[in-house]
Amino acid sequence: MIESTIHRHNAGIDPAMHLWGWEIPTYLFLGGLVAGLMIIAGVRLVAMRPRERQALVCCTIGPLVGLALLSLGMLALFLDLEHKSHVWRLYLTFRPTSPMSWGSWILLLVYPALAANAIAHLPEAIPALAKRIPVLVTWSDFILGRSRLVLAIGFVNIVLGISLGIYTGILLSTMGARPLWSSAVLGPLFLFSGLSTAAALLHGILVLTQPAGERPGFADFLLSALARLSESRPLDHKVAPTLAAADNSFLTIELALLGLLLVGHLTSTQVHRQAAALLLTGPYAAVFWVFVVGLGILVPLTLQTLELGHRIRHTLAPALLVLGGGFALRVILVAAGQASHWASAAN
Amino acid sequence: MMAPFFKYGLFGDEFSLIVAFVTGVGMGFFLERAGFGNARLLAAQFYFRDLRVLKVMFTAIVTAMVGLYVLGGFGLMDLSLIYLTPTFLAPQIVGGIILGIGFIIGGYCPGTSCVSAVTGRIDGMVYVAGMIGGLLGFAEVYPSIERFARSTGMGKITLPQLFDVPYGLLVFAVVLMALGAFVAAEWAEKKLGGKVPAAGSLLEPTLRVTPVRAFAVSLVALGAFAAIGGSPYRSPVGKVDVRELALEAGTKTDHVSAPDLADWIIEGRNDFILVDVREAKDFAEYHIPGAINVPLASLSGDFADRNERIVFYSDGGIHAAQAWLLLRSLGYRGVYLLFGGLEEWKDSVLFPTAPAAAASASEQIAFAKRAAVSKYFGGAVQGASASPGPAVPTAPKLTPAVPTDAPASPPPAAAKKKKKEGC
Repeated sequence: MIESTIHRHNAGIDPAMHLWGWEIPTYLFLGGLVAGLMIIAGVRLVAMRPRERQALVCCTIGPLVGLALLSLGMLALFLDLEHKSHVWRLYLTFRPTSPMSWGSWILLLVYPALAANAIAHLPEAIPALAKRIPVLVTWSDFILGRSRLVLAIGFVNIVLGISLGIYTGILLSTMGARPLWSSAVLGPLFLFSGLSTAAALLHGILVLTQPAGERPGFADFLLSALARLSESRPLDHKVAPTLAAADNSFLTIELALLGLLLVGHLTSTQVHRQAAALLLTGPYAAVFWVFVVGLGILVPLTLQTLELGHRIRHTLAPALLVLGGGFALRVILVAAGQASHWASAAN
Repeated sequence: MMAPFFKYGLFGDEFSLIVAFVTGVGMGFFLERAGFGNARLLAAQFYFRDLRVLKVMFTAIVTAMVGLYVLGGFGLMDLSLIYLTPTFLAPQIVGGIILGIGFIIGGYCPGTSCVSAVTGRIDGMVYVAGMIGGLLGFAEVYPSIERFARSTGMGKITLPQLFDVPYGLLVFAVVLMALGAFVAAEWAEKKLGGKVPAAGSLLEPTLRVTPVRAFAVSLVALGAFAAIGGSPYRSPVGKVDVRELALEAGTKTDHVSAPDLADWIIEGRNDFILVDVREAKDFAEYHIPGAINVPLASLSGDFADRNERIVFYSDGGIHAAQAWLLLRSLGYRGVYLLFGGLEEWKDSVLFPTAPAAAASASEQIAFAKRAAVSKYFGGAVQGASASPGPAVPTAPKLTPAVPTDAPASPPPAAAKKKKKEGC
C-alpha cells in the first residue's frame, strides 16, 4: 500500500489528466478567433453609420467566416467528448458555477447573433447570393430599417464576443490541478489573443481581395487555384491601416498579459514557479519564445508597424504569422498546462 | 565569461534554440536585404555580371575570421571548442560539384532558397521542396554509399594545420585574398556586366578615403597584426587569479570526497573525466574504475576541452592539487581533486571500517550503504562487527581495477557526453 501511494508505483494514484490532444487547442483557437470577429463586427454596427458600413466588405465576410469557423471549432469540441451521445444534456440545465455550462449556452447564443450581424449587410457584400435567395434582402431591410435593432445586434455581438473570448481562457484557469492554468490572467489573455487573430484574419482577407496587380504574387498563386472566390476590390485605404493598428494594439496587450501571467506565477508558490519555468527554461521554452512570442507577436508587430508607416506594402505575412502565433499559444499552453503538476514540487 | 557560451554551459538546449531563432531571423533578414532571395541575381555571379554573392560571402568570412582571431587572442573565445565539420575530401568534392550544378540551374543555394521561399517566390518553394526530397532520398540511399561518404577522411582539420603555417599568417593571407577578390569582382562586373563601380569603391581612380577603403585598410591592419601576433589557440603559458583560486582552495569548493565520487561512478554519471596523475606503472597496478591516466610530468590541456569537468587524483593529494593548479592556470574552470587521494579512497570506499557495536542506528544504516559500495568496487569491510565475508586483518592488497563480482551495471567509462553540435 505504501509502495503504491508514496512511491506512486500505481499509475491510478494520480488521475491521468493529460488527455487533451489537438481538439481542445483547435477549439480554443477558433473560439477565440470567432470571439474577436464578433467584437470587431459588433463595434462596426454600433460605431459606424450605415453608409460607411457598406464599404466594409471584410466585416460582412468576417461574421460569415466566423460562423463557419465556429462550426469547425464546435466539431473539434464534440470530437473531444467522451460520451458524444450525451451532449444534449448540457442544455437541460444551467449551472452558474460551471464554466462548461456557461460555455455551452454562450455558444448556443453566438450563432443567431453572428448570423444577424452577417445578414445586416449581406446583400451589398455578396450581390450574387442575394439574387439567388431574395429573402436575404428582406431580412437585411428588416434589420437596417430599425436602427435600435442594429444597435442591439451590435451590443449583443460585443457582449457575447467578450464572454466567448474570456470563457475560452476561464475554461482552463478553473482547473486548479494544473498550476500553469490557475491564473485569472488567462481569460483576458485569450480574449486579446482572439482579437488579434481576428483583426489579422480580416486584414488578410482585405489583402487577398485586392486587385490582381497589387496582390502579393503568392496570393495570386493561391487564388488562381481557388477560381474566382471573390471579386477584386481596391485595398481599402481606411480599413486596412485601422485593422493593422488595432492588431498592433491587441498584440501589445497580449504581450503584456503574457508577461503578467508569468510574473504572477513566478511570484506565487513553488508549484506555480515550476509551472512558469516550463515556459521560461523548461521543455516548452523554445517553442513558446520562438512560435508564440517571436513569430506570433514580435515579428508581425514589426511588420505591421512598417506597413502603417508606409515603409512596406500590406502583405499576407503578418496575418499568417498572427494566426499561427495564436494557434501556437493555445497548443503550447494546453500542452504545458497538462505537464504542470502539483506533485512535481513534492518530488 | 568565455565563449562559446553554449559549450561553457552559460545556457542550455532550450535557450540555444531561442538564440538560434534570433540569429536565424537576422541572417534571413540580411540575406534578403542583400538581394539573395532573387535567383536571377544569384545566378548572375556565374557569368561574372554581378558578383555580390562572392563579395557578401567573402566579407562574412573575413569578418568572422578576423573577429574569431581577435577574440581568441584576447582569451575571450576558446577556438578549440568551435565546431568543425570533419573533412572527407573526395565525397565533399563530389557533393560540392552537385551543389554547384544545382546552384547554376536553380539559382539558389540552400540558405538563399529558404529566403526566397519565405518571401513568397514560387521557385524558391519548389527549390525547398526539392531539397527536402533530396534529403529523404539521401537518407534512403546512404547505406549503399556509406563507404564512399566516409572515404578520404582527414578529420577536423584547418588550413593552418594542413599547410603547417602560423595561424596569424593565414589570417593575413585570406584578408589579402579577399581584398584581391573584391577588386577582381568589381573589375569583372565592369567588363562583363557593364556595371559602373559604385562611387567610393576600391576601383575608383582617386585617393579619397571612403568608408569602403577605410574598412579595407583596417582589415589589412588587423591581418598584419594577426600575422605577427601568433596563434590564438591555447598555449602552455597559463595565468591565474590568485585571489579567486585562494578562495576556492580555502573554502574547499574544489574538492570531491571519495564517497561522492563513488556515488557518481555507481550512478553512471558521465559528465566528468576522472584523471589519474600517477605514473603509468602505478596506474596499471590499480586505478579507480573509469579513470584515464595522464602522468603529471606530461600534463597539458590536450586530453580535455576547457568546458569539461575534470577530477584529478593521485596517491595522496599533492600531485592532484598541483595538476589542479596547472589546469586552472590554463583557463579550465571545472577542475576538482579527489580529497585525500587514493589513500582516502581506500579508507572510506574500498575498505570502510565498521562502527562500534554501540553506534546509533543511523550510523549502522550509513555503514550498510558504505559496505555495499565497497563491495561494488571489489573492496571489503574492516573491523570486528563486519558483515559476513572474508575479513582481512591487515592492510589488504588491492583487488584488480575492474571487480569481477560487480553488479549488472558495469562501471561506466567516463566518456563525456558530447553536447549536440552542428554547423
